[in-house]
Amino acid sequence: MSSVGTPFRIAVPDSQLDLLQKKLSLATFPDELENSGWRYGAPLADVERLVARWREGYDWKAEEAKLNEELPQFTRDIEVSGGHGKMNIHYVYKRSEVENAIPLLFVHGWPGSFIEVRKILPLLIQAFPDGKFPSFHVVAFSLPGYGFSEAPTKPGFIVEHYAEIGNKLMLALGYNEYVTQGGDWGAIITRKIAQIYGGKNSKAWHTNVALAAPPTLTSQPLLYLRQLFRPFTAAEKAAFERTLWFQKEGMGYFLEQSTQPQTVGYSLADSPVGLLAWIYEKLVTWTDSYPWEDDEVLTWVSIYYFSRAGPTAAARTYYEVFHSPDAFGSPSALKSKPTIPMGVSVFPKELVFTPKSWISASGNLVYVNEHTSGGHFAAHEKPELLVGDLRKMLGRKGPVYGIVPGKNGYVPRTRSRRDKRKGGAKL
Amino acid sequence: MTDSDSLSERPFQISIPDSSIELLQKKLALATFPDELELESDEKRRMYGAPLGDIKRLVERWKTGFDWRKAEKKLNEDLSPMFVRGIEVEGFGVMDVHYVHRKSEREVDAKGRKAVPLLFVHGWPGSVIEVRKILPLLTNPEKEDELSFHVVAPSLPGFGFSEAPRKKGFNLTQYAEVFNKLMLSLGYNEYVTQGGDWGFYITRRMAQLYGHKHVKAWHTNYPGPGAIEPAFGAQPLHYLRHMVTPYTTREKTALERSKWFTTQGMGYNIQQSTQPQTLGYSLSDSPVGLLAWVYEKLVNWTDGYKWNDDEVLEWVSVYWFSRPGPAASLRIYYEVTQANQRVVPFREKPTIPMGWSRFPMELRSFPRTWTQNVGDLVFDSEHPSGGHFAAHEEAERLVDDLQKMFSTVL
Repeated sequence: MSSVGTPFRIAVPDSQLDLLQKKLSLATFPDELENSGWRYGAPLADVERLVARWREGYDWKAEEAKLNEELPQFTRDIEVSGGHGKMNIHYVYKRSEVENAIPLLFVHGWPGSFIEVRKILPLLIQAFPDGKFPSFHVVAFSLPGYGFSEAPTKPGFIVEHYAEIGNKLMLALGYNEYVTQGGDWGAIITRKIAQIYGGKNSKAWHTNVALAAPPTLTSQPLLYLRQLFRPFTAAEKAAFERTLWFQKEGMGYFLEQSTQPQTVGYSLADSPVGLLAWIYEKLVTWTDSYPWEDDEVLTWVSIYYFSRAGPTAAARTYYEVFHSPDAFGSPSALKSKPTIPMGVSVFPKELVFTPKSWISASGNLVYVNEHTSGGHFAAHEKPELLVGDLRKMLGRKGPVYGIVPGKNGYVPRTRSRRDKRKGGAKL
Repeated sequence: MTDSDSLSERPFQISIPDSSIELLQKKLALATFPDELELESDEKRRMYGAPLGDIKRLVERWKTGFDWRKAEKKLNEDLSPMFVRGIEVEGFGVMDVHYVHRKSEREVDAKGRKAVPLLFVHGWPGSVIEVRKILPLLTNPEKEDELSFHVVAPSLPGFGFSEAPRKKGFNLTQYAEVFNKLMLSLGYNEYVTQGGDWGFYITRRMAQLYGHKHVKAWHTNYPGPGAIEPAFGAQPLHYLRHMVTPYTTREKTALERSKWFTTQGMGYNIQQSTQPQTLGYSLSDSPVGLLAWVYEKLVNWTDGYKWNDDEVLEWVSVYWFSRPGPAASLRIYYEVTQANQRVVPFREKPTIPMGWSRFPMELRSFPRTWTQNVGDLVFDSEHPSGGHFAAHEEAERLVDDLQKMFSTVL
């Protein structure tokens, strides 16, 4: 029997809440150019309004209670190689009523957190006695340095270490075999999980951020040549525009966090206003017109503000990976394609667009679905669409139905003629 | 906000209100620090950004020992006399511009030469403080036969004690316009310029727009990425010369430094060039955040300069207490990037004489053959020490170069 871990409830001390209030009461705002809109960054009116709400009206204690109610949380120590030692990891863990539900590890990114599992959790664990959709047991950990997980204390904490934690956590919970879902850093981490632990532990992986390199004449000659002659569709062109925007206007945070995370960290740690702006800008520009409510934004930001390690630790992910062989754009980053089945959900307002043809060359693609709305925070913006894709990929009619032995996601039923296909219902 | 009187010159002294100093103290009292990774040396810690020990120590000093009133008084003395005047900028209305204006102690030197009007233009994260050390050397040289200068050193609009633009689009052309008008308003129809960092870009624009007519020659310590490698198709002779001229050892070291800057040191630049407002909230609200943001550059960009804690706090305080606030100073990056003004095609380079003083720890350096694409290089000197803040780190060497260059060129 494996233990679920040590039960955890978020309980931010009053002293921290008082300090936040004190800082907010001294909040000093910059000026703003006339009619600048979003062009120079997060608009002043928005930030002032959010700060005013954070000071008065926003009830962290109520939000905290809701989070604790909706998301059963735990902590446990996990030993990490590379000299990083024992780290106390925080995670959300909820089992479906369906005993044979598919174990699923959800991995968040930046500036997200475990909160990104909030909306998809009830859909994933939902039981369907009529066998309409598969169910999942869900595990969503806070990356080290985020939420309520400990942060690394030594340099060199790279993708394989995040992956190690994800895998060890699933094993510790008794799930020797499982599937994963991840976006942002979660995409990179679950790709690494698929590479290192694929087949043995991770059986299939799903992502909403396709990581693929453009075809070259030597890497994929046919695809490369075909692309020269086939024009991109209007939707593809729009998506490329989005990618261009991101590369041209949206990489400041990335470069600062990849090179001088400590420097920006002083601002993020000392100024809740600065932290709010830094994150809010992404919440709006990275989503597909998602109607953020002020309290929703403040909860996302508060998780960073009240995080166990403070908001600076999260920035270091970028530095460590940037200075490792897995750095984006490095020759080794995209090599060693994982061989386990891969599913991809493509949302139009994702930051970097990858055409379907490139995706199919980047992994063992068994499922892909292109949506007409949604952005970077897919699980938060489009929970039904994302879960819909997972259900289709892993469900009875899907390409990798039953990929986790003994855990096909359904209530067992009596065998019938219909269940004779490969990987069919096991009693 | 400004009336007709504002167009005339008004004397200026820095005088930060007590309430501002009190607010700063209140914020410092609540200072919250991040953690730091376990690393064996300051050198390793600096790879991640400003080291925690330094920032904590500086914040403590800022809270307890640093005396802004004393520093303010000394600044007012050292930079005297200072003024503010309104200058009309096309499309932006009348803007208050703050400047140092000190005339030479001698109208004519022992060789019968008149003092030369010099416009000194600072950059980021600098300010008029950068003229402090060179000011007395320029206006009152030790020897009677050394060239002397009338010095004008403004705060860039958006920095120090100048107003900030209120509308979008205030780019190099506007900075050039403001400063040219300033010089003309002071009665200097002909003048020379010195600038590094943004000062380089602004004085290059001035050389383009007002060269020959008003700007007679320009000097820089930072020829920016406007220096581009000659390409065969565009400049065949230049390209061939570049190919056969071997890099000196110094040039190789300098290229290493450039590589460090472009791969590890550009975060602030890209952020400020794309989302300055987002960053501005942090720098406006947190003196600790502002301190770290600026201090990291003061250390990384200099050549082992031994910063005194109070010296650092003075530099940062000028940003914290600046008239428009620290966020405004970031926008120059955005505006110049949007206007695509960083690189000037060599065919549009200024044609007035240009001087370049090379300091080994400047952020970017280029072989001579590249810099000849930036301007009509007639003077160039190489120094054994010094970094990005040349006027502050190597005051005597810089002044020496200016005296030499402008003696021969004018």
